[in-house]
Formats: sequence, structure tokens, C-alpha cells
Amino acid sequence: MRTLNRGLWLVILTLGLIHSAYAILPIEKLDSYKGAKVFLVQTKALPMVDIEISIDAGDRYDPSNKSGLADMAAGLMNYGARGDKGVWTEAQIADEIADLGASIGVSAGGERTIMRIRSLSRKDLRDRAVQLAATMLSSPLYDAKILEREKQRSITNLLEAETKPEFVLDRRFKKSVYGNYPLGNSPSVKSVSSVTVSDLMQFHKTFYRGDRIIISIVGDVDRTQAAEIAQLLLKKLPQSGPAIAALPTFRRSPIEGLSEREIQIPFDSQQAHIVMGMTAIERNNPDYFPLLVGNYVLGGGGFVSRLMSEVREKRGLAYSVFSYFAPGKDTGIFQAGLQTKNDQGTLALEVLSSTIAKFIADGPSVSELLAAKSNLVNGYPLRIDNNRKLLDNVSSIAWNDLPIDTMEIWTKQVEAVTLEQVTAAFQKYLAMDRMKIVVLGAKSKTSP
Amino acid sequence: MRSNLLRFFFSLLLVSPLAWASASNPPQTHEFNLSNGLKLIVREDHRAPTVAHMVWYRAGSIDETNGRTGVAHVLEHMMFKGTKKVKSGDFSRLVAAVGGRENAFTSRDYTAYFQQVEKSKLEEVMKLEADRMSNLSFDDAEFDKEIQVIMEERRLRTEDNPSSLLNEALMATAFMSSPYRYPVIGWMNDLMNMKAVDARDWYRSWYAPNNATVVITGDVDPQNMLRLVQQYYGVISPHELPVRKPQIEPPQRGIKQVEVKAPVDSAQIAMAWKVPRLEPGKLDDPEPYALELLTAVLDGYDNARLNRVLVKQEKVVNDVGVGYDMISRGPELFLINATMAKGKTVAQAQASIRKALEELKQKGILESELKRIKVRILSNQIYKRDSIFGQAMEIGSNEMAGFSWKDIDYMLEKMQTITPAQVQAVAKKYLVDEGLTIATLDPQPRKIQVAKGSK
Repeated sequence: MRTLNRGLWLVILTLGLIHSAYAILPIEKLDSYKGAKVFLVQTKALPMVDIEISIDAGDRYDPSNKSGLADMAAGLMNYGARGDKGVWTEAQIADEIADLGASIGVSAGGERTIMRIRSLSRKDLRDRAVQLAATMLSSPLYDAKILEREKQRSITNLLEAETKPEFVLDRRFKKSVYGNYPLGNSPSVKSVSSVTVSDLMQFHKTFYRGDRIIISIVGDVDRTQAAEIAQLLLKKLPQSGPAIAALPTFRRSPIEGLSEREIQIPFDSQQAHIVMGMTAIERNNPDYFPLLVGNYVLGGGGFVSRLMSEVREKRGLAYSVFSYFAPGKDTGIFQAGLQTKNDQGTLALEVLSSTIAKFIADGPSVSELLAAKSNLVNGYPLRIDNNRKLLDNVSSIAWNDLPIDTMEIWTKQVEAVTLEQVTAAFQKYLAMDRMKIVVLGAKSKTSP
Repeated sequence: MRSNLLRFFFSLLLVSPLAWASASNPPQTHEFNLSNGLKLIVREDHRAPTVAHMVWYRAGSIDETNGRTGVAHVLEHMMFKGTKKVKSGDFSRLVAAVGGRENAFTSRDYTAYFQQVEKSKLEEVMKLEADRMSNLSFDDAEFDKEIQVIMEERRLRTEDNPSSLLNEALMATAFMSSPYRYPVIGWMNDLMNMKAVDARDWYRSWYAPNNATVVITGDVDPQNMLRLVQQYYGVISPHELPVRKPQIEPPQRGIKQVEVKAPVDSAQIAMAWKVPRLEPGKLDDPEPYALELLTAVLDGYDNARLNRVLVKQEKVVNDVGVGYDMISRGPELFLINATMAKGKTVAQAQASIRKALEELKQKGILESELKRIKVRILSNQIYKRDSIFGQAMEIGSNEMAGFSWKDIDYMLEKMQTITPAQVQAVAKKYLVDEGLTIATLDPQPRKIQVAKGSK
């Protein structure tokens, strides 16, 4: 009982502090180590810690004939590593993670590969989780037999995915928008088959190094402990490595005739799937906020957007309809889409196109702009109200080189957006005669 | 109870319970019962100035009748279509204006509605949610449009999704009499023939304070919440609910099989055994806990038995999953599903699954395997507190199945007492052919090939 009571007091005190300081928890930038940047948000209410390691080693660095390499290099980290005291087999890695009550996940995205660790914050457990993650990150085995197995699994998944309308649509759309930029390539049976152990080794040696890494930590650790975590994670990794060839330029979607921009894919499904979009902006572009606010009105605002109103509420054409900007460190894309009964494809595409065209031409109304700002500003606390969400924010701020006080000034930046800025930004970046369109499975049209 | 839980944890980890004082403080939860039959549960969590507000109705597809399947979910959609005071669509506009996130979901057991808001905005959304508990009013034209949207939802989630078709066939085959045989979204033909009056009848039958539980989690004061809930929900009159027949599924007397042909590349198999669930008032029954642990021993982490043997060693399947949920209103299945590896057949996969289960039945499981699972369950008790929404979900789903939020810790504690022998015993007793249903997905080519050059 005594222990319990003392514990209770601690919690009350801690909560009191958090309350008064809540406004926004500050991001602390720690000294960089081996060229890696390290960021921390301390929050002690729960005895746990979340750690993210972002490595500038995403799919965009896949060689054109080896699409899927970055993904394989990341995924195989779970399946064997060389530690100080010998080899960790895949079984031992999985058992250790389970025994610690921790989780460690690795995945490759377009721009970056991300490793995430969630652990209880008590030092002995945390140390073991971080130690294991460090070993997986710095010294993956890339065992030939396991590579063979995982290639086969990956190919089987790919062939399965090719029977799914949403996958076929998305892959064709990416090819269309990204063109010759590496993200236009998707893994194929051939490209995955061609990945070798030495490709993995070479990729790891080239990209997994301190100067391409950002570490973000949120949870129950202080600055000293956070610095120790970062040092442990980077201990066996080099600071830098061989020069890396610059990526090709990602060019703005050009003005084209409809027949050049629009692709019809015949597909035997009950619904037609439709997507349209084009190149847009990078996250640290000052026009990010006008586009964010504007897109809320157009197709981002859940049940209250114009697209939702025109497509779903007024016409009952689709269950899901959306638009979004996906800005990154690179120029990101704008994308809008829906799915509808296959004989309604033509009508739905018309409604989608005309709604977007009208918005680009005229922008939002005064009341729409107010409603959008009201939602974004009032709802901001919901974007940062737990450790997982804080980590997402810190990670985005760090990766995209945003100001360290981004969370503090976010609502002010939304409030400052004017009607003119929204309209100007949409007209600057989007244009209907540049939009790539992919229509899959529509019945009324035949293949061009 | 919590301190017992943690003692288990430390005995498992072989370390001393220092630095755990803060974790050992259970979150403060309060329960109130209003005179109109509404139950209110408030969990305080003061980490951030936000709140999750949910209302749960004990009405899901388990309460539906044949010919009107999907009506629980249809009504969920219609709940956004206006009341006597609030115009269609305004509910969402008003929630959006205060920065709220909102949605709703329907399951076999319940229908739930929620908003997440900054705490000062709670009253505004509660006012709206309480209003539609008794004042829903939509016209036929709204219904006619929305039923089209719902059919699109079914096309998206089920008709064009072979795994969903497989699951639908499995449930409809495994259960003869239980309404668990209906898909939550409803059969397409029932949707095509559904009328506005069906939705209105459903609403009048089940939407009442005496069939609802309000769950509020976040940075709130419980007495203040009680006052607000009294003010907005407390004025709603209760009414008598329709009689729920038990509809107990008759015992199965042998293997059932069903095949689904659909456009996929790899075949799939689902094997489902009839197993018990945890019943309210019988929290000490060890079998449901043992089945939960069996699930995790087979599929709880990357090196769990089925993944290790079937995916990594024998390479007979590409993916394998195990499902069981001891908390539900209706009859439970213990489900194993797998997607074939290239060149392997469902017969080979089934043989491998059976071999792995047979080995477990004969030789039992290791103490170390069970310990690993228990550590994970306990650490998840800390992690789950990172999400106030997740906590509200846990409380609500347990309440709907007839348990109290107070039972949750007891269940976790009980889980820690289960032995390897008890896990082996449930495998032997229940994973037998008499109660088995097997569903297979047989790959078909799409009638039209994907255009060349689309890669």
C-alpha cells in the first residue's frame, strides 16, 4: 500500500506538470552523432518509449532493373544478424523481441526506410531492445537461403496483388505520374528474382550510415538516456560511405491531350476504380498550408468535402471518394479517386473532373474557408495527443527539415491562410490539362 | 488486482518491481447508471486535452432476421441523415467545425458511434449524439441514395474481394441457425430490396437509452460528465426492447466443407472449429483463456509455431493467421487461414496444419512458449494506455458482450494462471473434426486479362 500511495503521488505531480506545460511538448534537438540527427520529446506519463530510425534508403534508390531491392534490404533485417556474441538467427530475434514485450518493425517507403522500436522504458528491457535493433540495423546477415525464401514469398504476394483492382490501378498511376523518376518503377517478378545477396550487401553498405540517418525518440527517457540510445543504435554503423549518384529530376506533369494523359485498363470487377492526379509540392514549400486548407474543402475533409458531397451525398455514386496531397522531401503528388459500379465509371469520372476543375478555377467560398480552418485549428490537439502521434510529427518535422517549433506554430499558419492564397496555390500547382487519369474496369468504354 | 498482474510480470521477467510505481496505478474509471437505463462509463486520462466520446448500442447483425440482413449497418449510415432539429449532413458539418473526428461502425454484436474532440468541445458533440438517439428523421429520397452508397461499399469490400467472399461462405456454412451466419454488411439481394421503413423499424426497436452505453475517455472530470450526460441523454425515454431469442446453434456432427471460386492467383484455406467463448458470470472458466493463449502460441509473434513451421521451414504456405476472440455475444470459431505458397496445394497446407496441431495435442507446449505470450499480454497493458480511443473501444466492446469494464483486469489476471496443460487440453478437446468447417478459395483467371504494358 505504501508503495502504491507513493506511486500515486508521483503520478499526480507528473500530471500536474504536464498539464501546465501541455500547450505543446517541446522537441529537443540533441547533438548529432556520427552525422545522424537526433530528436527527442520527453513524456513521462507512461513507462514506455517509441524510437524511430529513418534511413535515407527508400525505394527511390532501387536500380531500375532491381525494383524491390530497398524493400528486401529492410525486410531481411528481421531474419538474421551478426552480433557481438555470434549470430542471431531469425528465430532468436523474434523470440528476444517477444520476451522483452517489445516490438521492432522495419519497412521501406518511397523516400525512406523506417525502423520503429516500441519498448517499456525500464533500462534493462530498453537496453536489450535497442541493442538488438542496433545489431539488426548495422549487421544484417542477408543469408542466401532466407533471401531465396523471401523472394519467393514476395513474388507470390506480387502475383496475388496483380489480381486486385486497387493494386493494378495504383501501379499504373505511379508509372504515369512519376515517369522516369525511380518511384515510377514497381517491383516485378523479374526485378525481385534478380536480387542477390551481394546486391543487398552493397545497398546496405552504400545507404545505411550515420549521415543518412535521423533518430526520433518519444517517451519516458531524458536527454542523457536518449543520447545513449542514439549512440548504441549507431555504434556499428559508419558515419559516411561512397558517393551516391544524384537522383534524376522529377519533372512536373506536362500539358498533354486527354488521349495521352488518360489510360483505360480493362478489368473484370464489379466496380470501376478511378484515379487522377499530378505532381505537386514538397512538404517544406510555404504553399503547403494554402494547399492543406484548400484540399480540406475539396476532398480531404471527411464527410464534408465537395467531392463527398457531389459524388456520394448528392448522387450515391461511391462509398469512398477522396483527394490528398502527399508532399515529402521530394516533390510529392496530388491524387484524387473513387470506386463505383462499373457501368457508372464515365459519369463518376465526369463528376470527379468537373468538381476538381471548378475548385481550381474558383477556389473555396468564404464560408468553406472558415469551416476548413475551424476544423484544422480546433482539431489540432487530436494530432498530437499520444506518444505514437507525437512520434509521427517529430519524424515528419525531422525528415522534411521543418522548423523545430512546427507544432507550436502550426495552427497560426493555418489561421493565416487567405482565400487568395488558396486559389493562387491551386492554380499554381494543379491544372486539369496536366492531370494523369487511370480508369480501371469501366464497362462503358473499351480499351483505347 | 493490478498489483497482482504486475507481480506476475516481474516473476516472468525475473527482475524486481522498481520504477513501476507509476504503471501500477490503475486508470480511474467511474460507472453511473441513469434512471432511464443508460449506462455511463468514464475513464480519466489527463495526458492530453482531448476526449473520446462513444455511444454503443447493443444491436448488431446478430439481432437481424433473414431478408433484412445488413439493416443494422444501413441504419448506421442513416444516422447521419438528420433529425427533427438537425438537417441531413449537418451532424458531420457541426462535428467538423469544432475540429472533431467522427465515424461509426457496425459489427455482429453492436453498433457504435464516436467523436474525438478537444475537451472544451465535448458538450457540443454530445448534444448532437444524444439528439439522434431519439429524434432521427430522414426521408425516403435520402434512403434511396444512401442504399446505393451501401451497395457500393459491399462491392468494394466483398464482391471484388475474394478473401471476404471466402469468409462470408465460411460463416454461412459453419452456422446453421445462429444469425452469425449473416454478413454484417448484408446479402446484396437484401440490400437491393431494403426499404426506408426497414431502417426506421430497426431504429424504433433498438435505439433507446436502456439499450445503450456511453463511454467517455480522456481529460474529463467524472462528475461533470455525469451532469452533462444527465442533461442530454437523461431526458430520453426508455422503451421496451424486442425479445431476443437465444438461437443457440445446434451441435455440429461432422466436417462441413465449402468451396469458393474467385479471381485470385493463390488458393486459400480457412479451417474453423466451434469453440466456447467466455460467458458473463463464468469468468473462472479456464477454457476461453486457454484458447486465447493457444491462438498466440500458434500465431502470436514472428517465431510462433505455424509461421515458423509452415512459412519458414516447410514453405507450404505464404502466410498464415489464427483468429479467436473469447469476448462476443454469439458463438465463437477458432480460425486458421492460410494462403498457399507457389506450387503448393490446399491439401498439402491442410496436412501441414493438421500435423502441427497434432504435435501440439500430443506433446503439449513449452512453459517458455507460454511465458513469452504472457509477457506480451502484460506489456500490451502498458502500451494500450497510449490511446484513449483504444481504451474506449476495449471498454465498450466488453460491455456489449455482457461483461463489465471491471472484468477486464480480472480476465488478464486469470489469463496469467493458465498452464501449458490447459492449453494442450483445449486443443485436444476442440480442434477435432466433429466441429470443423473448411472453406477453400479456388483460383480462377479474370475473364479479361490485365492489359499488356500496365506494369
